[in-house]
Amino acid sequence: MEISSNGAETQPKFALPVDSEHKATEFRLFSAAAPHMRAFHLSWVSFFACFVSTFAAPPLLPIIRDNLNLTATDIGNAGIASVSGAVFARLAMGTACDLFGPRLASASLILLTAPVVFFTSIASSPVSFLLVRFFTGFSLATFVSTQFWMSSMFSAPVVGTANGVAGGWGNLGGGATQLIMPLVFGLIRDIGAVKFTAWRIAFFIPALFQTLSAFAVLLFGQDLPDGNYKRLQKSGDKQKDKFSRVFYHGITNYRGWILALTYGYCFGVELTIDNIIAEYFYDRFNLKLHTAGIIAASFGLANIISRPGGGILSDAMGKRFGMRGRLWTLWTVQTLGGVFCIILGQVNSLSASVAVMIIFSFFVQAACGLTFGVVPFVSRRSLGVISGMTGGGGNVGAVVTQLIFFKGSRYSKETGITLMGIMIICCSLPLFLIYFPQWGGMFCGPSSAKTATEEDYYMSEWSSNEKDKGLHEASLKFADNSRRERGRSVHSQTLPSNATPPADV
Amino acid sequence: MAPPPLLLCFILVLASFSDTCFAIISFSSLQRTLVVTASHPQRLLKAGEDKITVTWGLNQSFPAGTDSAYKTIKVQLCYAPISQVDRAWRKTHDNLSKDKTCQFKIVKTPYTTTNHTSEWTIERDVPTATYFVRAYALDTQDQQVAYGQNTDAKKTTNLFEIQAITGRHVSLDIASVCFSAFSIVALMGFFFAEKRKGGKAQQ
Repeated sequence: MEISSNGAETQPKFALPVDSEHKATEFRLFSAAAPHMRAFHLSWVSFFACFVSTFAAPPLLPIIRDNLNLTATDIGNAGIASVSGAVFARLAMGTACDLFGPRLASASLILLTAPVVFFTSIASSPVSFLLVRFFTGFSLATFVSTQFWMSSMFSAPVVGTANGVAGGWGNLGGGATQLIMPLVFGLIRDIGAVKFTAWRIAFFIPALFQTLSAFAVLLFGQDLPDGNYKRLQKSGDKQKDKFSRVFYHGITNYRGWILALTYGYCFGVELTIDNIIAEYFYDRFNLKLHTAGIIAASFGLANIISRPGGGILSDAMGKRFGMRGRLWTLWTVQTLGGVFCIILGQVNSLSASVAVMIIFSFFVQAACGLTFGVVPFVSRRSLGVISGMTGGGGNVGAVVTQLIFFKGSRYSKETGITLMGIMIICCSLPLFLIYFPQWGGMFCGPSSAKTATEEDYYMSEWSSNEKDKGLHEASLKFADNSRRERGRSVHSQTLPSNATPPADV
Repeated sequence: MAPPPLLLCFILVLASFSDTCFAIISFSSLQRTLVVTASHPQRLLKAGEDKITVTWGLNQSFPAGTDSAYKTIKVQLCYAPISQVDRAWRKTHDNLSKDKTCQFKIVKTPYTTTNHTSEWTIERDVPTATYFVRAYALDTQDQQVAYGQNTDAKKTTNLFEIQAITGRHVSLDIASVCFSAFSIVALMGFFFAEKRKGGKAQQ
């Protein structure tokens, strides 16, 4: 189906229906049409590869810890290191996306971290093990480029879905690796390698997968529906933006900070669970390591539908109730995740624990998807920085939670899980403070002031000088497209506005 | 692919059967009736190369008939306390079904009333640690009924250290370096190609 957009001099033909920014308004999972769906498949596969690499060590720890003579403290520290690297990497990635485009930014990071995964095969001490896990963890910053890319390719009605499916299927790597790595290890060992060599060879698989996915992104991907940043900048269709302004408008937006905190208590919790749950089941219920590993894998595998489910739910709520619906749903789902986390720490039987864990995984991962149904609307100019802050906040949550509740023997694991649940509930409350003048917040409706329109909100990121130079055009189109976030009953009454922004900044 | 809930139900059913119906055997209930000695080169032993010679037999000071239930002897390599520190996966439990002290089998043979000697080349998957040797006497149902070890009750004497293989090979090292270099060079190549294409781009 070919629909040309209105208002453009050339009439590019796209396989999917598009809006005025040429972003797709439909999400067709089983299509690989360029540029939208192709970007989707490239981004989730490359992100999946990074997750596989980052969490490739945990399932093989029983062998690695004997080979490298690790203690429980060494293992704990390496686990924290693996998620802490991405904290700043995600923020840097966000800025890089704003400036260079998601294609180059993500492929560069993936190809720069692939050598570290190769070097894992050479690790020979606790220190080297910690270092390779730390630097491999940087690759999780590709999450930001994934979300940024999806937000650039897909329009408001489907952006939550696109973000949710791409993020969820990437996160799947954390679960899949618990199944893949032991299998690859077993195969290599059965061919004839000694255990302490077999695990080293096994690491070549995620490393090669990562490298190849980066090549695919570079060869087949493009940043925006209309082309790549460099070409668009050269032709004048996209303005090159200044790092300092992009960064400034990102970090001064308080909503980004609130979402960073709350994301720390859905995604951060997910990462924490990825690191501790196998041991928890193994120790508490005396399961075999293999069984504990399968249960641990199922937590990550739930991502195949739970996070996309969150994204789809966000879009559905946004369609009916606007941004307020998205916020309320996010708070409700995340708080319920906290409730089930408390229950998980309290139940004593194996079957109840597994059941509660599955329910808990659905809520916590759906909350991640719901968060990225809100993020694309916080800023247009600094979308990358906001995505990076939120994503980085997720990792900070993982680091903080593991440090407080799961390091050493201060709390038993089940107490730690219960306390983590309480913390989830408390740290979700700041969502009530998010307020968009044009759409409202959880408690308050939209402002009735004349300057509370979508244009005002997104234009406030540009100075009058920059507007004179016409740098704000893309934001203007986005503002128009985002009007649906008012919700169904209001949306039908609003008239399309003219492109004359107010004079003040 | 089975949906996760279904797969989990299946695992749960299996798991519920995993608890065996045997009585709990505690280590403290076993009598130390065997005498075990281990001899080896007096230096750091190397996995895959060095040999340990283990000798075991019934302690003659016990009354005759003590060994009537002994069917098999299982000799194992066990971690010394110093190698168990901060490593819960090597923890000593009194309940022998949960005990993780002895993880490597040296030899398992039918019990004989005379002393028995066995030479064992240290396997290549033995990790770097400090060890001692323990022998369990098993009955017809493969349950432990007695034991003996080459160290004292507190596990402080006659310990020996084994150095594991690294598992690394020169070919692996070279492959890692080559592939890593390839990734970086490929990235630079792509950048270079982009710059060249950008320079030629029409407006």
